[in-house]
Amino acid sequence: MTNNTDIHEVASFLADYASHLLGCGATCIRIEKNTHRMAEAFGVESDISIMPTHIYVTACGKDASHNGVAIRKTASCGINFNLNARLSRLSWEVADNRLDFATAVKRFNKILETKPTGKWEVLFLTSFANAAFCRLFGGDPSAMLIVFISTLAGYRLKQIMLSDRRDVRLVFLCASFFSAALSAGGQLFGIGSTPEIALGTSVLYLIPGVPYINAVSDIIYKHYLCAFSRFADAAVLTACLTVGLCTGMLILGLKWF
Amino acid sequence: MCNDLLVNIFEDGLFAAIAAIGFSSISNTPRRAYLTCALIAAAGHSIRYVISLPDFGGMNIIISSTLAAFAIGILAVLFASRIKCPAEVCFFPALLPMIPGMYAYRTVEALISCLCNTQEETFRHYFYLLAYNGLTCTFIVLGMVVGATIPVFMFKKLSFTATR
Repeated sequence: MTNNTDIHEVASFLADYASHLLGCGATCIRIEKNTHRMAEAFGVESDISIMPTHIYVTACGKDASHNGVAIRKTASCGINFNLNARLSRLSWEVADNRLDFATAVKRFNKILETKPTGKWEVLFLTSFANAAFCRLFGGDPSAMLIVFISTLAGYRLKQIMLSDRRDVRLVFLCASFFSAALSAGGQLFGIGSTPEIALGTSVLYLIPGVPYINAVSDIIYKHYLCAFSRFADAAVLTACLTVGLCTGMLILGLKWF
Repeated sequence: MCNDLLVNIFEDGLFAAIAAIGFSSISNTPRRAYLTCALIAAAGHSIRYVISLPDFGGMNIIISSTLAAFAIGILAVLFASRIKCPAEVCFFPALLPMIPGMYAYRTVEALISCLCNTQEETFRHYFYLLAYNGLTCTFIVLGMVVGATIPVFMFKKLSFTATR
């Protein structure tokens, strides 16, 4: 990189790249490694600071007076492992195949156009998954059917509310309320022998597992701020789903446990 | 008896695999990773099932979950490069079926029962249940996550070149 324009473009690109990795649920160590790998391939020195909601990237050419800084807000692309895998692969393509900067940017933009998994596919697979979950916790076939139906309805509500751009905390609260209210039918009408397992399992598809796991990974690599932020986000969502579950039981007049 | 045990292990693995595929789809995991996630989940869950059986040592649920998660982590690191995905893409859906959902549910149950019962004896009973279920749940999750993350940390080079 020979001039100031180039170095700024590189810093901007790296910041965009890192912000999308952070947004799609990559761990801090992966973001650091991938970004440095690409910066090295472009022939610049880089440093990255990962904050809970922002990414700061500085890039510096061979001549120390040529440097660029870019700050990006974390991309709101939601947890997306496909994007994570493809962005990670891009960093290796840049490093191993010595892709030039323009091609790397082009490929990056193409990766961002990747479509998420089909909503109906996710809806049914999640419902089957939660029903299987119920079986693992000792639920009988009736409980599994109740969990399947309540997950199907709750997850569809989640999809609709998220596409309407509602606040994610409200979405979790409403979806868990809806699922809990439906699965409470098992207890109200005495369906099957394990209705309490159906009720307990019906909201588990909402547990934000990725942020919890990433938080531990960040702690191992000493990214304490990000770890705390991810943990707090996940804890808030877990609290919302608990409130939804309890409200459902309260309104339906179920005996408190 | 041996047949019953095998059927139970198979059943446990099968439902864990179905759960893993479903939870993979929520996180937009690439389709080529579904089968790997399912197999790793089935292996992990079956390992936990077997080592927690009284005939096979009857290991405590926290230790058995940690060991099973460690196995999941190792398998994820080994298989990640085959499907060109980061290791965490494989182990996250595989870990989910081991989440102690019923302990979490019983913790909330005990918390609300605590708040609704002010008599000392009853309160103490529910507080005991709150602490028991809450601590068990927390340490299972912690053990699982640490157990699965350690292999990524141990085989750093292999883990971070999976997408190469």
